[in-house]
Amino acid sequence: MNIFISGGCKNGKSYHAQELARDMAKELGVPLYYLATMIPVDDEDRARIQRHLREREGWGFETIEQGRSILDCFKPGALTYEGNPVDPNGVFLFDSVTALLSNEMFPYGEDMDLDCGQRLADDLLEFAKITGNTVFVSDYIYSEARTFDESTETYRKTLAFLDRTLARECDQVVEVTFGMKYLYK
Amino acid sequence: MILVFGGAYQGKLDYALDKFSLTPDCVYCCSRNGELDLNKDVIYGLEEFVYWCNANGFEAREVLQVRGDLSGKVFIACDVSQGLVPMDATDRAFREMMGRTLLYLAKDAEEVHRVFCGLGQRLK
Repeated sequence: MNIFISGGCKNGKSYHAQELARDMAKELGVPLYYLATMIPVDDEDRARIQRHLREREGWGFETIEQGRSILDCFKPGALTYEGNPVDPNGVFLFDSVTALLSNEMFPYGEDMDLDCGQRLADDLLEFAKITGNTVFVSDYIYSEARTFDESTETYRKTLAFLDRTLARECDQVVEVTFGMKYLYK
Repeated sequence: MILVFGGAYQGKLDYALDKFSLTPDCVYCCSRNGELDLNKDVIYGLEEFVYWCNANGFEAREVLQVRGDLSGKVFIACDVSQGLVPMDATDRAFREMMGRTLLYLAKDAEEVHRVFCGLGQRLK
C-alpha cells in the first residue's frame, strides 16, 4: 500500500511514517528501507543525519541515500548505506518530498530548475508504482500570510502540486497534527 | 452558506466544484478591488477581497454583511493563519482580518470544509 503523510513541522509525521512502514514490512516479510533525501552540505547536516541514524536504530531500516534522481536507487549496482542491493519489493519510507524538491529545484552549486515539477511528479508516481509499498512524507507549508519572492513561491506551488499528485494516487492519505492522525482516505 | 478553506495551492476550487456539482461559470473570482458578485454561486479567492478591504480601511465582515444575502453561497478562502507573523504591517493586519472574517463565516455556515492536498474534511 502506498501512503502519503503530511502535516506541520515537528508534529510527529516521521514517527508515524516509521511505524507504518515497519508494520507493513513485518506483515509482508520484506526488507525495510529508509530513503534519505537530505544531501549534507555542512557539519550541521552531517550531525543531523547521525542523529536520525541513531533514532532509527533497532527499527530494522536499511538506509538509501538518494537526494536526487530517485529512480536511480533501482539501477543495477545501487547499494544501501549498509552495502546491500536494493529490493524494489521492499517497503520504503520516503523522507521527504520537501527535501527532494529542494535538491532538484535548487541544486547546490548549480543553476535553479524551476520547471522540475512535472518530471518529479512522474518520478514519484513511478517510484510508487515500482515499489507498491512506499510511505511518502511531505510538509504542509501553505498557510502563510507573507508575500514570498518568486522562486520561493514557485517552490511552494510545485510542492503543493507534488503533494496533490501523491495524495490522489496513494491508497491512504494522513495528516498528522501534534501526533494525532486524520485519515483523508 | 458553505465555507471551504485550506492552504495555498491545495485544490480548493476543484474540490468545491466537484463536491457541490457546480461548473466554472458559477464562480466569481475575487481580486484586490473590493468588488463582489453575489449573483454567482461561488465566491472564490475571498482572501483577495479581504486584502483589499484591509488595505482600504474597511472591515471585511462588515462589508460582507451589507453587500447582500450570503445564504446559499459557497465561499472559498485561503487559510493564511498558520505561518510566521509577516514583517509587513499591511500583511500583518490582513492576516488578522482573514481570521476574523473566516470566524464570522464559519459561525454562520451550514457546512465548513477544509481542503488538504486536494482532499476534503468536513469540519461542520
